[in-house]
Amino acid sequence: MASKTPSATGAWSRARTWLGHIDGSLLALCLGSLVVVFAGGLIQVSFGAFSMTILEAWQAVFDPDILFDLQVWQVLLLGGQINPDVLLNPLAWDSLIVDASLPEMNKRSLIVWNIRLPRVLVGVLVGMNLAVSGAIFQAVTRNELASPFILGVSSGAGLMILLTLVVFSGLSTLLPLIASAGGAVAFLIVYAIAWKNGTSPVRLVLAGVIVSTVFGSLQTAMFFFADDIGIVQSAIAWTTGSLTGTDWEQVRMALPWTVVAMGLSLFSSRQLNVLLLGENTARSLGMSVEKVRFALSGVAVLAASASIAVAGIVGFIGLIVPHMVRNIVGSDYRKLVVGCVFAGPALMVGADVGARLAMNPTQIPVGIVTGLVGGPYFLYLMRKQQEMGEI
Amino acid sequence: MSQNHAKTNGTGAENTNGAVGESPSNHSEASLTGEDLVLTYPSSDGPIIDGETITAEPGAVTALVGPNGSGKSTLLKGLANQLTPEAGSVLLDGEDIQTLGTKAIARKLGLLSQESTSPNSISVEDLVYHGRYPHRGFFESVTEEDEAAVDRAIDLAGCGHLRDREVGSLSGGQKQLAWIAMVLAQDTDVLLLDEPTTFLDLHHQLEVMEIIETLRDESDITIVVVLHDIEQAARLADQMVALKSGAIQAHGTPEEVVTERLLADVFEIEAEVSATAHGPRINPIRARHDGDEHDADDDGTETDRTEEVVAE
Repeated sequence: MASKTPSATGAWSRARTWLGHIDGSLLALCLGSLVVVFAGGLIQVSFGAFSMTILEAWQAVFDPDILFDLQVWQVLLLGGQINPDVLLNPLAWDSLIVDASLPEMNKRSLIVWNIRLPRVLVGVLVGMNLAVSGAIFQAVTRNELASPFILGVSSGAGLMILLTLVVFSGLSTLLPLIASAGGAVAFLIVYAIAWKNGTSPVRLVLAGVIVSTVFGSLQTAMFFFADDIGIVQSAIAWTTGSLTGTDWEQVRMALPWTVVAMGLSLFSSRQLNVLLLGENTARSLGMSVEKVRFALSGVAVLAASASIAVAGIVGFIGLIVPHMVRNIVGSDYRKLVVGCVFAGPALMVGADVGARLAMNPTQIPVGIVTGLVGGPYFLYLMRKQQEMGEI
Repeated sequence: MSQNHAKTNGTGAENTNGAVGESPSNHSEASLTGEDLVLTYPSSDGPIIDGETITAEPGAVTALVGPNGSGKSTLLKGLANQLTPEAGSVLLDGEDIQTLGTKAIARKLGLLSQESTSPNSISVEDLVYHGRYPHRGFFESVTEEDEAAVDRAIDLAGCGHLRDREVGSLSGGQKQLAWIAMVLAQDTDVLLLDEPTTFLDLHHQLEVMEIIETLRDESDITIVVVLHDIEQAARLADQMVALKSGAIQAHGTPEEVVTERLLADVFEIEAEVSATAHGPRINPIRARHDGDEHDADDDGTETDRTEEVVAE
């Protein structure tokens, strides 16, 4: 009420930083998501060719000897051990990380930690990246139906994947980087096409459709030239998204970019909120709309690219998760982004349980499962909500 | 570049205007001038406003009136730097607005557009906090100054009882009050309002009018407001500017501008004007049509441009 004394409201709202906006629904969402991630993760690490009980898996994951061993984490996250001798000498930093191997551990721990856990962690990172990337693109285009791939990222990445596998097979070790770069380049092409004294959400989306159509056709054409069923399967795994065979290598690849992208997204939540007020209002509030829009799109593309590099083009997560979260916490991006950071991994890890174990021993690409889960959920949303499309 | 100047919150204005900072508030009377403005939309054939000069009297309310498509909203957008002029310049406190940074402008000049959209689930208070955007850095959190400005704005706009409501649940009139509170929280020296009373019920029209009256009487804010209702404009404004077909037809006090002659020329209506305590009162009689005889001496200023609709 207006009768509130300034000091009372002052004390209350001094805590109104972007962190101070965690409320009951957001907290419940985050906790629920964590439960799903842990449950899914435990199922993932306990089932497989070498089966163990949930309890045994639990014990292996939370084995304090491993969990609190700095050397283990150095080997897993850095691929070696930090050489303390050169730490203070930047000139010698090329030998900063020296080869080291994991300490002795029993077979169960080895399987859990070396083979099954990284897949869960990659799923967590991918889910986070895609969900936040989708949330950003939904604000940038002011369209609820936007996904991380709306501005051509998936088509560019897909084309480069096919080109690499079919034509330049010598470069296949660089496939993750080439795919990400392809996505980023396609995004830049979309922006260049949409630019005419500035852009607008509609122009951007239309340009995205144009680029996706052309690159999609070229991608399909490349399938035609693939002469080996193995190459085709590999291409399908990449273009529908798969966590099969992911390792700590992939964790190491995605983690730094994920941290950067998530940090920037959390700090940008107020910009996203102002962008939601519409271009005119944002501009009259002093926002350089074009710069902010491009920068935010860049962050979203970075997040999407990081996920493409390790898991290929996983569909639907980036479209569905922001929706689910918005349904629960509302459209305030200070809460929405936080919610996506938690809910994205939950859906991704959950879907990967299905992808890995549903047709055991055959593993299907996780992108197929997310599509199968995502489609009906979207139908449910469409039936439930009166108006869809605009945020 | 101009950050420095903006941070001083208009002290430069006092120098250029020669106005002494006698007001207790942190506002100084800021001037806003559009010089020889030529304004064009990318989609329109010719300029909507073709070389007009307009000055908003510092600390006063200037109302822009005119028939549909006369270019009054376009002129306001030009003054607000939402539309880059093809020629001419907008001077804010004597400085060319093009040379100022976007945030620096937004700290001095607020604009309430005709149609504003927001997510439905945002609370009124959060919406009003967005008005503090130009005052906050990228990483800055809410300061006491922000809180004070928001409280003041909500108080002034009379939407304290709506503070925690979701914007989507408000009526059109309540929404407008929330938006006015947002633009007031921006705490600018100049405030531009584009048809703030259109589409509102009478109660909320009067609420909005009262807010503007309060600002006029109790602060030094320079206000330019586009109004559809010429009587409302006459009641609110210190200065009125009448536009037709993108050209300024009259400029002066309400008594000078609202005349039977002008209503005939600009609004193409026949009406009786009588002076009241609330300013001129208009009693419309009938619409004039092409070929109608002018009862005032016809000087041929009336034009029959058909492309004026594009300005809307």
